[in-house]
Order: sequence, then C-alpha cells, then structure tokens
Amino acid sequence: MALETGAVVEKLDVRGTEIAYRRAGDGSSLLFLHGLGFSKRWWPLYDRLAQHFDVIVPDLPGFGDSPQAPWMSDFDDMVLVLAEFADAIGAGRFHLVGHSFGGWVAAEFAAFYPERVASLVLITPLGARVPGDMPVDLFRRGAQGRLELMVGDRAAGLFPSATQEDRIERLTRDYLDLTGFGRLAWNPRYDIRLERRLGRVNVPSLVVGVEDDKVLPASHIDAYAKMLPNSTVTIVRAAAGEPTGHGVVVQEPEALAAKLMSFIGEK
Amino acid sequence: MPDVEFITLIDRTYRWFPPAHERDSIGIDLPNSHYDPDLGQQILEEVVAGAQRAERLGFDAVSFFEQHNTPLALIPNALTGAAWVAAKTSGIKVAAIGPLLNAYQSPIRLAEEVAMIDTLSGGRLILGLPLGIGAQYHSMGTMSPITARARYREAVALLDKSWKTEGPFAWEGDFFNIPYVNPWPKPRQSPHPEIFIPAAGSRETIELAARYNYTYQAVLTPMPVLLKNCQLFRDLRAEHGYPDDPRKIAAVVSVHVSETDEKAREELERYALWGVQNIIRFQFHESFPPGHVTETSFRAMMDGGYRSSDPSTLTWDQLNAGGLNGSAATVTENLEKLVSAMGAGRVIIAQEFTVPMWLQEKSMTLFAEEVIPHFRPAGALPTWQRERYQGYRTQTELIGRNPRRAGHLTVGIDGVYEPVSDRDFD
Repeated sequence: MALETGAVVEKLDVRGTEIAYRRAGDGSSLLFLHGLGFSKRWWPLYDRLAQHFDVIVPDLPGFGDSPQAPWMSDFDDMVLVLAEFADAIGAGRFHLVGHSFGGWVAAEFAAFYPERVASLVLITPLGARVPGDMPVDLFRRGAQGRLELMVGDRAAGLFPSATQEDRIERLTRDYLDLTGFGRLAWNPRYDIRLERRLGRVNVPSLVVGVEDDKVLPASHIDAYAKMLPNSTVTIVRAAAGEPTGHGVVVQEPEALAAKLMSFIGEK
Repeated sequence: MPDVEFITLIDRTYRWFPPAHERDSIGIDLPNSHYDPDLGQQILEEVVAGAQRAERLGFDAVSFFEQHNTPLALIPNALTGAAWVAAKTSGIKVAAIGPLLNAYQSPIRLAEEVAMIDTLSGGRLILGLPLGIGAQYHSMGTMSPITARARYREAVALLDKSWKTEGPFAWEGDFFNIPYVNPWPKPRQSPHPEIFIPAAGSRETIELAARYNYTYQAVLTPMPVLLKNCQLFRDLRAEHGYPDDPRKIAAVVSVHVSETDEKAREELERYALWGVQNIIRFQFHESFPPGHVTETSFRAMMDGGYRSSDPSTLTWDQLNAGGLNGSAATVTENLEKLVSAMGAGRVIIAQEFTVPMWLQEKSMTLFAEEVIPHFRPAGALPTWQRERYQGYRTQTELIGRNPRRAGHLTVGIDGVYEPVSDRDFD
C-alpha cells in the first residue's frame, strides 16, 4: 500500500511569501499543521479526515514545498502569516490540529486568535516548558536518527521516500526543514508566554499523547492540559505490535482519525 | 626575500579524556567530570609560557582561539586570555583570534574591552573575529545558527564604525538598536587593532575581509582552492581601492622542525595522529547546525565537496603533504613556496596542541633560529622591535605628548568658575 499518496500541491502567495498546501474533502474547515519531518506529504490520516472535513494542510514557511521565510523571527510572525493564509483560502473559523512542532504553532495561533478556532487538537505538541524533563534534542540527530525516534522500526515502511529519493535531494530538504524549525525553536526550546496566553483559549481542546514517545516526555501532555482551560487528554494506542510513538500521525492513522472525529464531531 | 610576519598559535589541549571510540561528541557534551583543576592550571600556564618563549625567541605575535564546552583548548574568551598574556609579556603582539561577536549582546561591549586591552598592552593587540564553529551554537545559549551570519555582519559593521566614526552616533540595525554609540576607552592603535577574519573559503567571508581592509586568515583548504581564494581576495581589495598588501593574507600552517626530516616524523607523528583521531571528529550535524550554511553550499557539501574521507583515517604522509614538518632546510623551502604562491605576508604557525613543552621548545627554537631569519629583512628583528611602541613608557613622555593634560578641570568656587590643575595645590 502506498502510504504517501500524492495530493495536488497548490501554492498561494501571501504578500510575497509562497505557501504550498494540499487540500481535500468537504465540510467544515480543518487546518492541519505538520511536525518536523512530516511536511510535503499527504498522509493517509488526511484522507480519513477528508471524509468528514475540508482538510487543508499547508507546508509551514521554511518546510517542505514552502520556501524559507527569512523575515520570520518569532512565533507571532508564523501566526500572522497563517492567519493571512487562512483568510486567503476562505477559512474563517476552523478546527485546528497540530502535530509536534505544528502543535506548538497551533497553540500559539489559538492564543492569538481563539475566536477563529472552533476546536483545538494538539498531538504530541512541543513548546511547553517542563523543567528537568525536556524533549530530545532534535538538532543533535541526523535525519535518519530523528525518523527512528519518531516512528521506530517502521521508518522505512512509512517513509518509502526516505529510501527511494535521491540522497542529496532528501538530505538537503531535511536540512531546510530543520532550518525552518530552528528559525523559531532553536532557543528557547519552549515558550513560557504560553503559560499565560493559553488561558485565553476557552475552545474545546484535546491533547493527544501516545504510549511510548521517544521525543517528548509524557509530562508535556499534562503541561498542555493544565495550560488549556477547556481541555481533555487522550492516549492513542497501537492496534498491534510496536507501541505508538511521537510519529503517531503516520503510525496509527485509523485510531488517531477515530479519536479526532469523535472529539471534533461532538463539537 | 619575502618579509613575513610569524604568529605562533600557543593553544594547548587538555588531553585527559577518553579516546574517541569510547565517547560521542568532543565539542558539546563531553562530561566536564573529566576536568581536573590542577591539570587545567597546567594547560593554561603552558599557554602563558608559550607566549613568553615566543617573545624571547623573536616571533612577531602569539595567538590563541576561543573554545567552549570542550577540552580542545581552555581559553573561553580570547580577550580575557589576551589580557593575561599581554600582562605577562612586554613587546610581542597578542592575537586574540576569538571573541565571538554573536556571544555578545552588543558589539560595543566588545569594542570597549578590546580598547582597554589594546591600551594597557601598548597597542599590541591583534583581534580575530571568527563567526564561530557549529558546535558552539549548542552550548552558548545566546546565539542562533539561523541568524548568526546576518547578526555577525551587522556586528562587524557597527564595531568598525564605532572605531572609525566619532561618537556619539545612533545605530538603527536589524539586530542592534543603540541610541548612543560612544565607546570609552578607544583603542591605542588608530583607528583600531589589526583585524583578522578566519575563513575556510566562503566567498561571503572573504568579501567581508576585503571590504573592511581586514586580514584574510586563510584556513587551509585544498591548495588550488586556497590560491583561487587568495586571488579573489586581492581582486576584491582592489575593487575597494586598497593597495596590494601581502600582510593582509595570513596563511595557517602546522609546523614541526627537527634536525632531519626523519627525526621530525619520529618526534611528531604520534601527537599528530592522536590529534586527528581524537579531536577533529565532529559529527556533520554538529558542525553544521541548521542555517549555518546556505542551501547551495549544503548541496555542494553533500555532493562530495565536504570531507569525502574521514579525517581520523589520515596518515602521516597526508598530514605532512605540505612538507612543513622536517629539517629547517625542508621547512624553509616549502614555506617559501607556500607564501610565494599565496602572496601571504603573515604566517600563523600551529603546533600540535599536545606536543610536550620540551619538544615544542626545541621545534620553536629551531624555527626561530634557522627558518625565521630567512623571511626577514637584514637584522631579523620582529616587527614589534622595528615599530615604535605605541603607549608611553615614562612620565616625561606622557607630559611631552599631552599638553592638554594640565588645566583640565573647571571648578566653581563661590560662584566663580576657574580652570584648575593638579599643580594648584602648591
């Protein structure tokens, strides 16, 4: 089964900043923000969600098919450009889902624009500060090492491109994605402002943890749940075999989609 | 006969840590439980002793780098090192090839520190401004590899202006906004100490050195590339209207001198191999954190332009490819070829950082006595003995130079303002 299906890439010019995105499905809008290493692809999870929603998956500026945005210096820049992007594609109020780094971005977005967020889902999100219990240093892992941390032994099966693509192309793209990530997350590797700002976000929120996250300690799921006033926590479990990890988005699309649909569907 | 300035690198490595195959990174998180204060003191005192020896032998300058989180060298701020070394010497120039502009919140603080050391050393300071190596971003906590180059360039521009323009002036930059740029003190050397820009070959860095009339410190790359870079640097200098000046190119070479070529190998090989096997082993993603290089450079490196072979497998013949480890005659001959080809008027001599001090003394003495004179005008004096000392040395010289020293205070007494001087008490 081809797990990385090829969705059509569309491009939008947001006042000089090109944002590539993929989109499918009908229904209320759902904006999905990818994590580090998960850009540039249309994952099976998105297909599941597209059965119920108008799913919009941008490559964040600096990731995948979206070029670097050298003017971007902080999360507020990212939030503002995403707001303009959402305006441009006609998504006024939407369900916001973010994974890993994308979860951090989603949290920042919700803090700035709670009125635009119908519901918020953060899947193994980076960005919280838990002293003494911080995520693995992703900047000190090579591309392959990061992939293994996120999806374990299933890396090759889940990421066929990791073995099929031209080596230089693949490593260069990884370096650029890491650069986009580092632009906002090199230092500090959390945003203590969220501790106050997320108090503004009264929308229904779901924080998704996994069984065995080798990147993000479980304490971060609790930290987000504590910061978000109207939140619940859920853990996605593997149907069989290896426990779910940081890359649950590609590891267990069925189980994760079921959780998301059940949560968002109730709202 | 070429007239070459010789700068000797006096850094020493703290070497009591596990060999490469028993640990991971040496540049980021080698546990500092391996550090012992006595052994650390020994290393730092060897650096100072190396400076004093270089002065006695007649080198033009001593230099050292700046390192962090690593036993590779123990000077964490090259300027602090320069302050100590300058105080322990009297005439030799001191090249602090280190302070990382990006480790400073403002380059003006650096400007003032440089000025203080330059003043107290009598204008003996040389300042190197490296961008910094990739591993350092992990440990410093104050700088991002994403913005490092842009911030560095702005910091250099501000630093340069702060010395070439009278203050106060305002700076409105992308990274620095300083309403009153007005550093006190100012450097003894006018407008500022000689500045070295270490560059492995990035065109951007060579352009920067050329634009500001700084010295291009040519970190060794394969010879054809190196020679091309030297020519590029000269061409760029010409575009900026600067005359040809060999002093603006500094070659960096590893040298060991002994009685014969064979003896040089016998003395040095084990230390040289230990160095490549244990020190130069950074993992790629640690040397090149995100944003540290452009997409174009990254692609070129992935395409085989960078370390197609593991440096830890280098052999003696490869390490000695330039023929600069050998008898004085061999070293002189090969060094002359190199500086002629590069058009370099300065040479930075790197010795293995772990060679025992007695062996270093032998090599450096042979170098000073039998190699250096070949590269100097008659009399063989180091530059600092040929040039006038820039500070004053006596009170009479101070008074003679400074008529404005007297009558400098205006004091109001009973509503009358009058100039007074230190002499008014008698």
